[in-house]
This record gives sequence, C-alpha cells and structure tokens, in this order.
Amino acid sequence: MDLTDKEYVERCCNGHQEDFRLLVDRYQKPLFSYLSGRVRDGLQVEEAAQESFVRAFLSLKKLRKPESFYSWLLGIAGRVAKEQLRSLSRRQQDCEVTESIMASAAESQTDYPLDEAIAALPETYRQVILLRYYEGLSCQEVAIRLDLPLGTVTKTLSRAYARLRQELAALEGAEQTVNQKELP
Amino acid sequence: MNCAECRENLVACEEGLLDREESLQCQAHLDACAACRAECAAIARMQQRLVASGQATAEVSLVEPVMRRVRAIQIEPKRNTIMSKLLTRWGFGLGAAAGAAAIILLALLAFPRAQATAAEVMAKGAQAVAQLSSIHLRAQLRTLPADNFSYIDPNCEFHAIELWKQFAPELKWRIEKPGRVAVMDGQSTLMFIKTANLATKLPQPSLSAFDTEWLHQIANLSTTISNELNNALAKGWKLSVAEETAPNGSVKAVVTIHAKSGLPDNDYVKNKFFEDADTRRVYRFDAQSELLEAVQVYLMRPSGEVLIFDLSQIDYDQPVDPSIWQLELPADVSWYQKPQKLPDNEKYASMTAEQAARAFFEACAREDWDEVEKFKSPVSAGLKEFLGGLEIASLGESFTSEAYGGRYVPYEVKLRPQEINVRVSNANSAKRYVITGMADSRLQLQEEMKWSNEPEVLAPNDADAKLSPAEAVKAYVEAWSRLDWVEMRKFVPDHEVEQTKRQLEEAGKNGIDTRKLIPVMEAGEAFWSAEQSAFFVKCRMHAVKMNNVALRKDNPAGRWQVDGGI
Repeated sequence: MDLTDKEYVERCCNGHQEDFRLLVDRYQKPLFSYLSGRVRDGLQVEEAAQESFVRAFLSLKKLRKPESFYSWLLGIAGRVAKEQLRSLSRRQQDCEVTESIMASAAESQTDYPLDEAIAALPETYRQVILLRYYEGLSCQEVAIRLDLPLGTVTKTLSRAYARLRQELAALEGAEQTVNQKELP
Repeated sequence: MNCAECRENLVACEEGLLDREESLQCQAHLDACAACRAECAAIARMQQRLVASGQATAEVSLVEPVMRRVRAIQIEPKRNTIMSKLLTRWGFGLGAAAGAAAIILLALLAFPRAQATAAEVMAKGAQAVAQLSSIHLRAQLRTLPADNFSYIDPNCEFHAIELWKQFAPELKWRIEKPGRVAVMDGQSTLMFIKTANLATKLPQPSLSAFDTEWLHQIANLSTTISNELNNALAKGWKLSVAEETAPNGSVKAVVTIHAKSGLPDNDYVKNKFFEDADTRRVYRFDAQSELLEAVQVYLMRPSGEVLIFDLSQIDYDQPVDPSIWQLELPADVSWYQKPQKLPDNEKYASMTAEQAARAFFEACAREDWDEVEKFKSPVSAGLKEFLGGLEIASLGESFTSEAYGGRYVPYEVKLRPQEINVRVSNANSAKRYVITGMADSRLQLQEEMKWSNEPEVLAPNDADAKLSPAEAVKAYVEAWSRLDWVEMRKFVPDHEVEQTKRQLEEAGKNGIDTRKLIPVMEAGEAFWSAEQSAFFVKCRMHAVKMNNVALRKDNPAGRWQVDGGI
C-alpha cells in the first residue's frame, strides 16, 4: 500500500532518501502540467520540473508541514519558473520578450486553475484524483492500490469533484475579477 | 433514491460499478431530477478537464534523472558549501558566457589556487563556445553495439558513438551507435534498435532521452563545466590542470576531474552505466583557441583504470545535413507500446518480482508468446528463437539497486540448441579459412569479427594451414571447448579471444562456475551463400544463460515488465 506524503517525507528525512523517488513518481505529472503553463516550451518545462524536485529534496528537512508537500513543491516550482523567465530576459536584454513569453505561456496553458485546485485538495482526495487521471487507473485498481473498499473510492471521487469545483469557482472567479479590473 | 443518495452514487453509477437495481434507481432519479442532472453534467465537465490534463502528461518520466541528481548531491552533503549553493543559483539558466564569468569568479574564491586555474581553463572553454549553433562529436565507447546508450563494459571492444546537435534556431539532436539510433527533430523523439527491429517514440521534443543524458552533458560544454565545477565544490571531487605540448608544438591545457557516482561499491549497477560509474575525466583544451579538443574518460575500478570513452573529433559550427534529423524505419518495424491494463490485470499486478520472472521464463519455455507479451512487448522473432523452449535451471531472490527503480532477479536457464551459421573467409594474406562473423539461422549477421591484425601465416606442415571451411570451424569449436587460447587465436581475431578470456575471469571472480558458460557447439556442413558471397558453416550451440533479469512495474498497468538482462 502507498504511504502518505507525510510518511514519505519523514522516511526521506530519516535516512531513506531513495524513497524520494516515490514522491517524484507521485507528483511528476501534475507538476509537469503546472509548469507547462508557466515556462516557454516542453524542454524548459522538463528542466524546471527536475530542478524543482531537486530543490525540494535539498530543503526537505525544512518542510514544517510534511502533509503539505505538494503545495510546497508547487511554490518551489513557481519560483523556478520565474527564475527561468528572468534569466531568459537577461539573456535577451528585452523585457518585452519576457512579457510576451509569459503571455504566450499563459495562453498555451491548458488548465492553469485545475492544477492549483488539485494542489488545494486534502491529500486523500488528491491521491484518488492523481491515480485515476494521471496514472490512468480504474476505480477498482485505485481501491487495491490504496487498500480501500471500492465504495470508499467512488465516494471519495464524488467528494473530490465537488471540492475541485468549489476551488475552481474561487480561482476562476478571482481571475475574472482581476481581468475586469484591468479593463480600461 | 433521493438526491443525497443519487449524488453519493453518481460516480459509481457512471463507472458501471452499481448493481443493476441500484443503477436503474439512480438513472430513474436522474431522469426525474433536473438538479441532479445538472450535477451529473458538471461532474462530466470536470472529468473531461482531468482526462485532458492527464493525457497531456502521459509520457512524462522524471524519476530517474531526478534521482540521479539527488544521489549525486548526497555523496558529501557536509561539503555543500555556501559557494556551491551560489554556483547552483548563478549557473542555473544563465547563458554560457555569463555563466562562465560567474564560474571563474566563484572558482577563484572557493578553490585553492591550482584548482581555480583548472576551473578558469574550463570556464574559458565555455566562453569560447558560448554562441555555438551546432556541434558534432565522434567518439569511441566500450559498450555492446545495440545495448543502452549509456551501457559501458570495460571487457567490450570500442564502438563508434556519434552526436549531432543543433542549438539554434531550434534544438535538434541525433545520437547513433552501431545497433541503435535516437533522433530529436524538434517535434518528437524517436529511437530505433536495429538488431531488434524495434522503435519507440516520445510525442514531444526532449533535451535528452533514452539514456543519452551523459553524452549531451559533454556536448553542452557550458552546462558541463558548471556541473563539473559544482560537483567538484559540493563533493570534494579532485580537479587539476596541467600543460602539455603536442607533437606539432601547440600547447594544450589538460583538466582532470575524478568523479564519483555516489553508489556503494556493492551496488549491482555501479560501473555498468556511464552516469553510475566512478570515472577520471580528462578534458583537453587548445591553449590558444581555448576550444575543447578531446575528452577521455577512464573507468576507475579497484583492479585499475580502463579507458572507456575516447572523444577525439569535435566539429564546431559545421553545417549539418538536414537528413541527419530524419530517421527512415523499415516497413516491418515493431513499435514499443506501454503495457495496457489486461482484463485479468490484477493477477499480474499482484505478483512479486520473483513470481513475474518465473511466469515469464515458463511462458518462454512453452513458447506461449501471448503470455510472454504480458511481460515484454513486442516479442521479436530473434527473442522467440533465442528463448523459445528454454529450461529453467534456477531462479534466485530478487534484489535492488539504488540507481534503478525496479528489481533484479538472478536466473540460470538452459537454452534450446540454437542454430547458428559461422561465416568464414580465406581472403587474407595467410590464405586460410578464418572466422569473420556469426549469423543466426536466417543468416542475419549478429556479430561481425573484424581482423585488425592479419591472420597468422602458419608453417606449411601445421595441420591447421590447409583446413576446409567446415574443418576450420570444427577446429575452433574444439579449441574453445578446452579453452585453448593459443589455438583459438588461429581462427578468430586476438581481441575476441581476449574478450572471452576477460569475461570468464570476471565471472569466475563473481563466484560463477565458468564451465557452465562455455557453450557446447557442434560444427556441421559448410555451404556457400550467393546472396552474401560468403561461406557459412552450420552449427548447433547448446548454451546456458546466467544473468539477472531486470523488472519494473512503474507503468500504467502496474505489471512487472522485463526491462533488461535477457
């Protein structure tokens, strides 16, 4: 059975550093999706995703709430993405280029609020969503993997969808408000 | 069913997990209740977004590269100084020239004088190539021709490995060794394994893929320098510089780095792959142009060091023929497919690695290729011929490596007698028949034997001087069975004999009964192949295969898949 994020983080901090691979395996796809909206192309996304995981590993002992590993990881990834864009602008000596890249990155983003909404889910909900949609497991397989009754998995999914909709409504509502404020 | 019950069961209902009666009740409620229908539609929209997001990242695979970096960092964490942190931060994402300037500054501050000079030489090398648009490397690597791009074996002969890389206007690359080629054309990344006639494709471009990262690192000089210096600082790797004068009088700066893999000495993977090896890396820069001219990498083993990688040709900014970025595949190529879930997937997903290894070999033994495909897909004709009808002698307990996400299972199998055709030729200065290659039953050449030294001219009274093709092969087979190295050298090149000798010695050191590894061969009749313009001698070979089969289950189906060691 899979351990929780908190348990994996604690194991890593207690000398089982190889267990970090299980956290990478768990979050590589949603992290990649998150970064796809923030950096320029697939190659830089890959580099930024690797860098984010490595920095997370180096700072793991400083993580005060191990159960919040994923949202903490997204914070690191956000900073890595910004550094990449800044270094790009330094290279090109042209802030307008950076702005246009940021704009095009935002346009190319398939579902920017969804990634943030997934990060905001309680861990039990998030695990079920990640296994179902990013690992492509059926409900029965999720049940076996998490050692839960099938009914618990389907009900957890129902609740996770409801929470995601709430989070998305809040995020997308906020985004619309900002956009409206920027209108002349 | 009321609204609360309906909503609680909506997911189970649409996944078809309710029994018939509950499903009908749920459907009836939905037909009658607009609010629950709206809820159902909202869930469907949410699912569509999740499916799209999941599909967009289906091919992402970061575990191994991240863990490699993590392991490298772990070696000497106490020496991870503030300077190395600065280097990481300054080096990340900077252009080569800016990065090189930062490296010089930090290296001068952080290293003792001698090491700082080495750092300076490398940083100047990075500046010299800061604006490159392309690079072409031609090197030699001790490896198996068709094996993994990063596989190294000090007992193997050198094989050519080449990299073409275009940095601007768009990143593209191609890496090729005799049995395997990978191409990233800016849109997608494709690899073709020639001997298995097997191809695999990543739908997206990639910085590196299919275990080619180590060679890219050498080609990306600025990153290499940043990495090497960073590692030298963080892990206390030794860094030194010396000056050499070439025969033509030109002065070369030679930077040497002792790199550690971070793996314990008893790790199975240690020293088997480039990035998992303890190495001494020697970079040669031309003192005047400051360009990198050559790289030699030596494998550091307790028994001594062996040159495993020799890069002597580097072409900077040469025009690249656009056809380099194209890869023509045979019409009958097989495509690697990620394992999909099976109707009885759970039966396989719940197996231990040992059970999976046994099930795989047993399926090979009874030639049940549909079953074999559940563990390795596709199964090539060559693999069927090789493993079909085998007998399992023993299977051991599985073990892991810090550098591998799966498990290894030791095995010993007795292979069904294989038909092989030994190619012979007398087109040499000694005018006698010697072996020039080994082919399978369909006359597909599996191993070319190149004679760098001409066959020895034997005395006229030597019984081996006037043998027919069939007699020559028979004499070689007999010499092999009694490990008569002197006699074997009469029929195959020296390096073949040396390689066999080294492999047996190595196996002996690992406690393996080497007698089991000597194949029993029966030499038969010779025949002429007009198509290949060569004589072949038909042979039957009885062999035992002992190795560790690599299995991993980090795939969408969660089943053990054979990943190597066959």
